[in-house]
Amino acid sequence: MSVSIQNRLSVAEALSADPVGLEIIWSRLIAISDEMWSTVLRTAVSPIIGAAQDFACEILDASGNGLAHSTRSMPVFNLVMPEITRAMLKRFPTASMRPGDVFIGNDPWLCAGHLNDIAIITPIFRDEVVVGFTNTVAHTSSIGGMLDGMQARDRYEEGLFIPLAKLYSEGKADETLVGMIEANVRQPEMVLTDIAAQVAANDVGARRIVSLLHEYELPDLTDLAQILQGRAESAMRRAIAAIPDGIYTGESIVEGASGDLVLRGTITVADETIQVDYTGSAPEQPIGGINCTLTYTRAHTVYPLKCLLTPNVPNNEGCFRPISVVAKEGSILNCRRTVSVNSRTRTGWHIHTLLFGALATALPDRVQAGNGLMHAFHAVGTESDGSPFNVPFFSGGGRGAGQQHHGLGHNCFPSSASNIPVEIFEARSPIVIEERSLLDGTGGIGATNGTPGHRVRMRRLPGSNATVRFYVNHDRLRHRAPGLAGGGDGSLARLYLNDVDLTAGTGHLQSGEITLETDDDVFTSEAAGGGGVGTVGAAD
Amino acid sequence: MPATASGPDRSTAPHLALSFDVGGTFTDFTLVDLDTGQVVAEHKVPTDPNDPATSSLTGWRDLVERGALRPDELTLVVHATTLVTNAVIERKGAKTALLTTAGFGDLIDFGREQMYDIYDLFAPPPAPLAPRERRVEAAERVTRDGQVLRSLDPEQIVASLRPLVESGVEAIAIGFLHSYLAPEHEDAAADAIATAFPGIEISRSSRVAPLIGEYERFTTTTADAYVKGKVRRAIGGLSDALHNEGLPAERDVQMMLSAGGIAAASEAIERPIRLLESGPAAGALVAAYHGVLAGRERVLALDMGGTTAKACLIEEGRPGLAPMLEAARVGRFKPGSGLPIAIPVVDLIEIGAGGGSIARVDELGLLKVGPDSAAATPGPACYGRGGTEPTVTDANLVLGYLAADSFLGGRMRLDVAAAETALTKLGDQLGLSALDTARGIHRVANEHMAAAARLHAIEKNRDPRRYSLLAFGGAGPAHAIAVASLLDIDEVIFPPGAGVAAALGCLVAAPAIDLARTYAGRLDRIDWSRIEAIYDAMEDEAIAALTASGIAPDAITLTRRVDLRLEGQYHELTVPFEARRREGGKAGSDEESLLAYSPSRLLASSFAEHYAERYGRMLTGLPIEATTWRLEARGPEGRVRLAPLPQGDADASRAITGTRPVSFQRPEPGFVETPVYDRALLSVGARLQGPAIVEEPAATAVLHPGDEAEVNAYGALIVRRGIS
Repeated sequence: MSVSIQNRLSVAEALSADPVGLEIIWSRLIAISDEMWSTVLRTAVSPIIGAAQDFACEILDASGNGLAHSTRSMPVFNLVMPEITRAMLKRFPTASMRPGDVFIGNDPWLCAGHLNDIAIITPIFRDEVVVGFTNTVAHTSSIGGMLDGMQARDRYEEGLFIPLAKLYSEGKADETLVGMIEANVRQPEMVLTDIAAQVAANDVGARRIVSLLHEYELPDLTDLAQILQGRAESAMRRAIAAIPDGIYTGESIVEGASGDLVLRGTITVADETIQVDYTGSAPEQPIGGINCTLTYTRAHTVYPLKCLLTPNVPNNEGCFRPISVVAKEGSILNCRRTVSVNSRTRTGWHIHTLLFGALATALPDRVQAGNGLMHAFHAVGTESDGSPFNVPFFSGGGRGAGQQHHGLGHNCFPSSASNIPVEIFEARSPIVIEERSLLDGTGGIGATNGTPGHRVRMRRLPGSNATVRFYVNHDRLRHRAPGLAGGGDGSLARLYLNDVDLTAGTGHLQSGEITLETDDDVFTSEAAGGGGVGTVGAAD
Repeated sequence: MPATASGPDRSTAPHLALSFDVGGTFTDFTLVDLDTGQVVAEHKVPTDPNDPATSSLTGWRDLVERGALRPDELTLVVHATTLVTNAVIERKGAKTALLTTAGFGDLIDFGREQMYDIYDLFAPPPAPLAPRERRVEAAERVTRDGQVLRSLDPEQIVASLRPLVESGVEAIAIGFLHSYLAPEHEDAAADAIATAFPGIEISRSSRVAPLIGEYERFTTTTADAYVKGKVRRAIGGLSDALHNEGLPAERDVQMMLSAGGIAAASEAIERPIRLLESGPAAGALVAAYHGVLAGRERVLALDMGGTTAKACLIEEGRPGLAPMLEAARVGRFKPGSGLPIAIPVVDLIEIGAGGGSIARVDELGLLKVGPDSAAATPGPACYGRGGTEPTVTDANLVLGYLAADSFLGGRMRLDVAAAETALTKLGDQLGLSALDTARGIHRVANEHMAAAARLHAIEKNRDPRRYSLLAFGGAGPAHAIAVASLLDIDEVIFPPGAGVAAALGCLVAAPAIDLARTYAGRLDRIDWSRIEAIYDAMEDEAIAALTASGIAPDAITLTRRVDLRLEGQYHELTVPFEARRREGGKAGSDEESLLAYSPSRLLASSFAEHYAERYGRMLTGLPIEATTWRLEARGPEGRVRLAPLPQGDADASRAITGTRPVSFQRPEPGFVETPVYDRALLSVGARLQGPAIVEEPAATAVLHPGDEAEVNAYGALIVRRGIS
């Protein structure tokens, strides 16, 4: 397939001058990634994918740069997918690939920051030539390792590390690798089925891309990628240029196991670029898995910036290019390759607060006050008949206000997960939820108010004789979701057993395990409220 | 006694069946002579958004004036309506309160807590229809097993509700936790409320949507209560008005339900939320019917109207059903931004591309079409009613697909200059001529529809290329060939009366009701006597509802289905559940026959089969769970059955009324002088070749160069695609 330079130029020129054709192809790429997403959702078997939708799908060009991702996706995966694809390309050059090859990896430093997120990458062939990739990253239900992640001292304790490897060679699975995964995870059938769902989704995407190339008589994705990424990049550059040049600084507090940890960010806006430098942030932590790999830090940096700057532009590699991220190796935002990383959301979810706070004066109408964050815990134990149960409960804290809006409801931002319904939680556990209610007055007060936090109370199903334990790892026990521009902070999260504060007023949780001993014991979790914006009375 | 359509007392006078479908933009009428099986009249009037009933009456009177409709000869009147959808979208329902389990008054504020647009920090969640100040908690609690943990106190409920009722609350939704399993508390509450506050509308979740998942169930029930009074008044009022117009007193209006069944107005009023997708369901049914008449087993229906397009997969004459839909999406067509309504509904995907969809330039300089619509007012620029934004209809006019003097059968003259002005304005921003802008709008709209239809098919593991595309709606036939080309579909069917086709769907539908109830458990642990009890109750309810529409009990077919999944999954597959023969005695009484019957093994193998068909393989090892038990009760098919038309002249040239230049992309982009056919003059067996324009009053079909078409025995134009 040789395409003359002349022809190539004309295709590129024709496309870039065609606001109709470009719109159509761009929408088509997004639709194809949505087809991939739908394939995963329907065929995966784990609750983390089926209920919480913790995955994403992307189409990339032959250099591993992102072109389009599924409309619904776990936001941080959108930067991760190109990152690990390019890493894969370094190890497996395009020339060595054959149709039917599929690659796998969960290296937290190249992928999504902890071992549970597995990337599946499939080269797209047109006439024996690799023209691009489809990539799906999904949170697996088990990757082995210790159950109480808060105790992890290094990543070796956290489960199976799958280095970048070929899962399929010319359509044939590597049985050694499959066997290795099967032997090292807790629910191998579920895990392998979810991986198969990712492989199937990538195949669907690859087939569609090939027919799109035929339809538009494009030799490959190169020109298209340049144009689409170029457009997205220009939009991002224009949005950055509208921010006054200067240095903006922000800070955010992470609740470490042994004390508070500071995240510091220096944002340099220079013409059309942004550099975010996290020098001065806390060092990596020896225990508890709250360390972020640089890839994960970058993902949690560009995602909130994209929300601020070009929320309506379809995302691709171009959106990332004008943004650079610096973090000192060995810090909590660029941890070294051996430390524990499983609970990295406890740190990464505070990056947006830092960025929004720093940019509050420059972009007052776009930033959002601090969010209450998602509170996830697990109920674990045995039913009276001896059968085990293990049910997650997710709920979002109150959202931060914006200059124009009070906090809009509850959700799990910066995660895009959804909650677990009361009736479904109860059906799967011998637990009665007694209350799920808003805590009036707990949202930060301001010209616009944060969404209040809420309370969930649970006890054992009376007469069930079940054993019930909760495993919690709450955030915002010591530090409130900050308000902006004089707006009040949101309320703290709280945990009680029979109205006794489990942090004894300190905000430090001694143990993540809570046991209900009798039918009268009540476990209460209060999710944090969101921050407010502006001073009371400032708005009409 | 209620009248029936096919009652024994057939006099010598012709029997007429009338249907009308009140859509967002137009109200469509179809009149069928039941004795000859022929459509005797079709009609279309603009819908008055402020008073849809007026449009129904206007159209009725038009048909009477034409001499087509003789009200005393009507034996069947079926009505599809957007009344419920509009009430929910425009938030014009009753002042509604929600009575719910103590501790959960705020629950519907939480929703599912998911971001539906990951980049929009301020995307608002859909606001509950019962605001927080209108929620009351009942001191009661039932467990996951249906055991009472805390008894209901009727006096407490009445006392708590009284201030709200005194402040003007008109409807009360009752939603208690686990009521899908144990409805007793909701029933007791409803009784207490009805006694204390006579005349107030009441909806209970155990009746409206007895399914697990409290947010969805409570929201559905709240929406039901929200529209109940409005539906009762509107349908009652319309019925009275039609009787005043001469509809015989013993005939009553029947209603099209979202799942494609027909119910007596009295039944529909009891659970009005089931009317939510009344119109779209009628559209899917008429597509299914024309597919059957054309002998096609797999049909992709494309219904493109004024504001949206809808696509639906039909197999073996039946559209698929979905267990839920979203109403009133805040983020337009963004999934997750609407109110979840858990009712059985014809499974279709809605796309923001209709004739009125507005084209614009986005911040990247690309051409976008929809989802904003010019709707009926002001309408497209070419309507000359003050619209200045270019729409899909404006593009179609400039491209020659529509003509200024033949729109709506010539009753509405289109303003070409206004369309060109609007297109030029947009083209200037894009660097395109008005003509290329029009071409672009047409293409982008086609792409939207094709992409959505493809995704819809993929979600069901179906390959759209194996389907025939059946196009209808006012705008559908102008786009169908191009959409089929994008989907690589070879055959396109244009049913007759494409612009008003959905109305006919009301008439060909069987009276039917779909019920569902959650009772979850692993197949190997299910108490099967409980399942039989659930089906006994649902069957009694369904039979009572259908006999109220005049169906004889022995003419009712009952079909059971159950939703199954692998333990831990969140997505179910619905599989047939063969009913146990009851001759062995009362259900559940005979241990031995239950063992021999072994429903769990039957269902497990059926699930494995369906799973493999859909996903390519079955997993072993994981236990299978049942969640929701479904019942479909159907009356006899074909109360209206169209008869084949007489064979006519194969030469279509007599139907040519003229020619006009029409824009096509292939073989060469440009205008081609194209013959225009009057569809009414095309007889059965007529053959024609593209390029061609086939006009009927309410829609215009565009055949591209190389297409070959023939009129089948039922007046449908069957097109084999050429080079487009």
